[in-house]
Amino acid sequence: MELIRRQASLSANIVAFCRFLRQKGYTIGPQEEADALRALEMLAPFGSPDSLQLCLKATLARTLPQQLLFDELYAHYWRELEKAVDSKVKEGAAEKKTAGKGRQQPPAVQSIKNWLQGSQARETEETATFSTHEAMGRKDFSAFREDDLWEVIRLIHRIARSLALRQSRRRKRSRRPLQLDLRRTLRLNMRRGGEILDLAYYEPARNKRQVVLLCDVSKSMDLYSRFLIQFVYAFQNAYRRIETFVFSTSLYRVTNRLRQRDFGIALDELSGAVPGWSGGTRIGESLDEFCQGYAGRLLNNRTVVIIMSDGWDTGNTELLAESMRAIQSKAARVIWLNPLAGSAGYEPNTLGLQAALPYIDIFAPVHNVESLRDLYRHLR
Amino acid sequence: MIQNEGLERIQKMLREQGYITEPSIVMSVFLAMELRKPLLIEGPAGVGKTEIAKVMASALKTDLIRLQCYEGLDATHALYEWNYQQQLLHLKMAEDSGKTLEERERDIFSEKFLLRRPLLQAITHHQAPVLLIDEIDRADEEFESFLLEVLSDWQISIPEIGTVRATHIPQVIVTSNRVRELSEALRRRCLYLWIEYPDFEKELNIVRNKVPRIDERLAGQVCRFMQEVRKMRLEKVPGIAETLDWAMALSALHIDHLDKELVESTLGIILKDWQDIRQAQDSLSELFEKVGAISKLDNL
Repeated sequence: MELIRRQASLSANIVAFCRFLRQKGYTIGPQEEADALRALEMLAPFGSPDSLQLCLKATLARTLPQQLLFDELYAHYWRELEKAVDSKVKEGAAEKKTAGKGRQQPPAVQSIKNWLQGSQARETEETATFSTHEAMGRKDFSAFREDDLWEVIRLIHRIARSLALRQSRRRKRSRRPLQLDLRRTLRLNMRRGGEILDLAYYEPARNKRQVVLLCDVSKSMDLYSRFLIQFVYAFQNAYRRIETFVFSTSLYRVTNRLRQRDFGIALDELSGAVPGWSGGTRIGESLDEFCQGYAGRLLNNRTVVIIMSDGWDTGNTELLAESMRAIQSKAARVIWLNPLAGSAGYEPNTLGLQAALPYIDIFAPVHNVESLRDLYRHLR
Repeated sequence: MIQNEGLERIQKMLREQGYITEPSIVMSVFLAMELRKPLLIEGPAGVGKTEIAKVMASALKTDLIRLQCYEGLDATHALYEWNYQQQLLHLKMAEDSGKTLEERERDIFSEKFLLRRPLLQAITHHQAPVLLIDEIDRADEEFESFLLEVLSDWQISIPEIGTVRATHIPQVIVTSNRVRELSEALRRRCLYLWIEYPDFEKELNIVRNKVPRIDERLAGQVCRFMQEVRKMRLEKVPGIAETLDWAMALSALHIDHLDKELVESTLGIILKDWQDIRQAQDSLSELFEKVGAISKLDNL
C-alpha cells in the first residue's frame, strides 16, 4: 500500500517537474512525459537517486543546451520542493498553536511559487546565454574582439555552406551527352515496346545567376568587406560565376587571387598588395573604372551586382551617379550593402549615397551574421 | 552506482564489446532499446558516436545497416532505385519472347530489378537490424523530413510495386556533428544523447583497453597531452581515434615516454591540418610544460 502511494506521488512529481521544465523553455509534450513515465516504470525500483536523474535527463532533454542545463535545474527543483514540504509541515504545526492569527503565507512557500512559475523575462535570458550562436548572429562585426573573429568566420562558413548546399543538388535535362538519365530513357522507350531509340541525359542544374562583388576596403569598411567576401565565396560552386573587385581610391580585380583555399591568408596578402587598402575612398572613380573596363563583359540580365560601401566619399559624386546608372541598366539587380544601415535611426544622407540611391534596387544592412543570412534571400 | 538489472545488462554488453562507457550512455542505450525509440547522438567528431551503433549491432548479434548522409543525399540513394541497366538488358533479351507490352512492363518493375538502399533494406531485413543514420546534419532539411516520415510510418511506398511495410522495426541510431541545427520534429521523435570528448580517466581507460601492451607512463602522458591539445583553438580537434592511432604508433616503436622531438615528428598522427600542426609546434614547449609538470608530480 505504502509502495503504491509512493509510486503515485513520484509520478505526480514527475508531471510537476515536466511542467517546471516547460516553463524553463523545454519542449516537453505528452509524448515526452509518457516516455519519462514509461522509462521510470522500467527502471523501478531505483537503487540510487542518480539513475532517476539520468533517466529523466535521457528522456526529457532533447538539445545540447537542454542537456547542459538539466542537472542544475533538476537539483534546484528537488531542493526547492523539499524546502516547500518542510515549511508546509511547520506551517501545519504552527497553525495549531497560533490559530486565527493572520493568514500570511510563509515566505518559503511564496518563494517556491514564484520560482516554480518563473518570470518570463528571466527564462529567455537564461536560454539566450546558451544559444551563443544566436547571440553572435546579432552582434555587429566590429564589436567582436580579435579572438572571437575566428568563431564568427566558422559560423559564417557554416551558414553559407548549408545555404549553398541546397542549390547544388538539382539536376536538369540536357541535350549534351554528359550523363545518361536511365530512368527517363527507360520511360521514354517503354512506349515503343522497349526498343531503345532515344537516350536522355542530365546535367547538374546550376543557378544561372552571376555575382559581381564590388567591395569598399577603405579603413572603415575593411572588416565588413572581409566577412562579405568570405560569405559570398562559399557559393562559388552554386553560381555560374563570381567576380570580385575591391576599391578604395581605385579599382582592383581580385577574382584570381581569391582562388585559394585559405581566405584569411589570401585577404591578408591582398591588403598588402593593393595600394590604398584601408585608405580613403573614391567610389565614383572606382565604379567608373569598372564601367569602362569590365561592365560590358561581366554584366547581363542574370548578374547581381553587390556593392559594399558606407558611401563616405571624397571623390566625384556626379561620376558616381553616372556609373551607377550604367551598372543598373545592364545588371539584373543592384544591391547596395551598408553596415551602418543596421543601426536604428540611420538615414542614407551621405553625398555619395544620395547620388547612388536612385539606381539601387535593394539597400540593406550587412553588419552581422543575421544580415548575411538575409542577403542570401536576395541572391536566389 | 547503477543498480538495475536492465542497466547492468547493457553495461556488461557494452563492456564485452570493448566499449568504455559512462552512466549517461548506458542509460540512453538502455532506454532507446526498451522504449524502441531512435537515439539521436550528438557530439564533436571522433568521440565514438558511430561506434555505439556498431557495438550495439554486434552485442545484439544482428546486422548493422548504415546510411551515410552527405550533401545532396536523396531518396534514390536512401530508399531504392530501379536497376536500369538490368531492366534494359532484360527488355532486349525478351524481345522475341512474344510477351505483351504489359507483361514485359510487369517483369521489369518487379522486385528482381529493385536495388534496395539502406532504408528499404533495414525495414525488410529478416531480423530487426541496427540502422545507423550517420551524420544526418550533412544531408539537407528536405531529406530530414523525408526520413521523419519513414521513421514514424515504417513503410515505404514504391509506385510500381505498392507499399512495403516493415517486417521488423529496426533499432535506429542517428548521429550528428552539429554542422546544422536539426529540426524540432526529428528531435522529438528521438531520445537525445550528447557525448563530450572523454575526460582524462576515460581516455586512459580506452587507451589501456585498446592498446594493451602500451607502457603505463606513456599512456598517461599521451592522454594528458591530448587533453591539453584539445584546449587549443584548432581547425580539426583530434578525437579518440587519433589518440589511439598515436598510442599504437608509439607503442609499436617501443617508446616508454614522450619527448619533444618525438612529439614533433609524430604530430601528423593527431593533427590533420597544416595550420593546426604549425600552431601546436609553436606552443609545444608550453604544452610540454603542462603535461610534464603533471607527470613529474605523478612520479613522486
